[in-house]
Amino acid sequence: MDEFLTEMSEILEDDVTMSDALGQFESWDSLASLSVMAMADSRFGVRLVPQELNPAMTLDQLYALIRSKKAS
Amino acid sequence: MRLSFRDKAISGLLTVVPANERKFVDEMANFNFSQARSLKLKQVMGYDRHRIVAGPVCASDLAVAGIEHLLAGGHLVRDDIDALIVVTQSPDYLMPATSHVVQGRLGLHADMICLDINQGCAGFIVGLMQGFMLLDQPAVAKVVLVNVDVLSRKVSPRDRNSYPLIGDAASITVLERREDAGVIEAELKMDGTRREALMIPAGGFRRPSDAETAAMIEDAEGNVRSLDHLKMDGSAVFNFVMTEVPELIGGLLARTGTTVDEVDAFLCHQPNRFMLQKLADKLAVPHEKMPSNVVENFGNSSGVTIPLVTTFNLADALLAGSRKVCLAGFGVGLTWGAMLMRLGPLRFCEMIEYREDV
Repeated sequence: MDEFLTEMSEILEDDVTMSDALGQFESWDSLASLSVMAMADSRFGVRLVPQELNPAMTLDQLYALIRSKKAS
Repeated sequence: MRLSFRDKAISGLLTVVPANERKFVDEMANFNFSQARSLKLKQVMGYDRHRIVAGPVCASDLAVAGIEHLLAGGHLVRDDIDALIVVTQSPDYLMPATSHVVQGRLGLHADMICLDINQGCAGFIVGLMQGFMLLDQPAVAKVVLVNVDVLSRKVSPRDRNSYPLIGDAASITVLERREDAGVIEAELKMDGTRREALMIPAGGFRRPSDAETAAMIEDAEGNVRSLDHLKMDGSAVFNFVMTEVPELIGGLLARTGTTVDEVDAFLCHQPNRFMLQKLADKLAVPHEKMPSNVVENFGNSSGVTIPLVTTFNLADALLAGSRKVCLAGFGVGLTWGAMLMRLGPLRFCEMIEYREDV
């Protein structure tokens, strides 16, 4: 989870906590979304599709999604 | 689909880029984004400058300039050209074919084949396939393959998705039979169900251009473009490249019993530096073996990027000797293809500029 938080902090260019929603960051845009997909792929071996990411999603929910996809 | 070609080779490569260079930092103001976000985009994707035509330059202008340069330099003899393939998505006209326009402008003989192919970022692979197939005919000894696009003219300057990376260019590749060339192995796949990932929605017969298709509309992300403009679904394309391309290249290497170590260079289409580095990582290819410096220097010129990455990075090596290379193109259609070959020694491997003021 630490690795995930570090990566997200870099992508969103801000301090982040697991309860933060993606959309609350000014930097949340298509580039950040692409960076999240790339991070999930390279760090966790998980492929996300853009439809799975939305501004209301919290980091907690994103992390759970990545873990569930990794398990399956 | 598996393809293989025997005793055929690329004998020379020339690329033509417009002299007009534009810088990303000078164009940022056109986008509806903060300067900070634009600079972040520049840093992540590796955008810096790109070559685009300034005036109404057409595909045949770049193609004719390139072929005339080869004729003048003695690298090509007019009457030796048995076939002229033009791969483009920005033809001079809806009809006739741009290959005929080029043939006519150069005054080439009539005992030859002119053929247009509508392909983009995989267009070098598809063009090579067609050229090698023509060389199976005894009467065809020399094929001139032209890849050319001036798509900057079809991209909205206010589209942050596509404008910073677009480039215009042409390449002239000469293909011949060579008895000691060995076997070229290739893989090619197509998926028309994903045809809308990269498209120009209007201007064809399905949706002719009119006042409505010219209207500039802002999308959810603040990009402003019309239906007459090129539209790219960046996320869909990214996922396509990360999913299909490693599998394609990995499969080609596996079935030919080739290791990554045995390949001297992976010469791939150049969408942006970000995607190429992710692709290299997935294939466990060292970054220095997969050059990704075309977009930051010239822009992404669709089917011309494989010749561009080659003439920009490997000219001296390929003039002096040969290299085992894996070529890979992927994009519009969707289309993705890879080809494994020994490339070189080439008779010419050069880049020239096209000047609009002469």
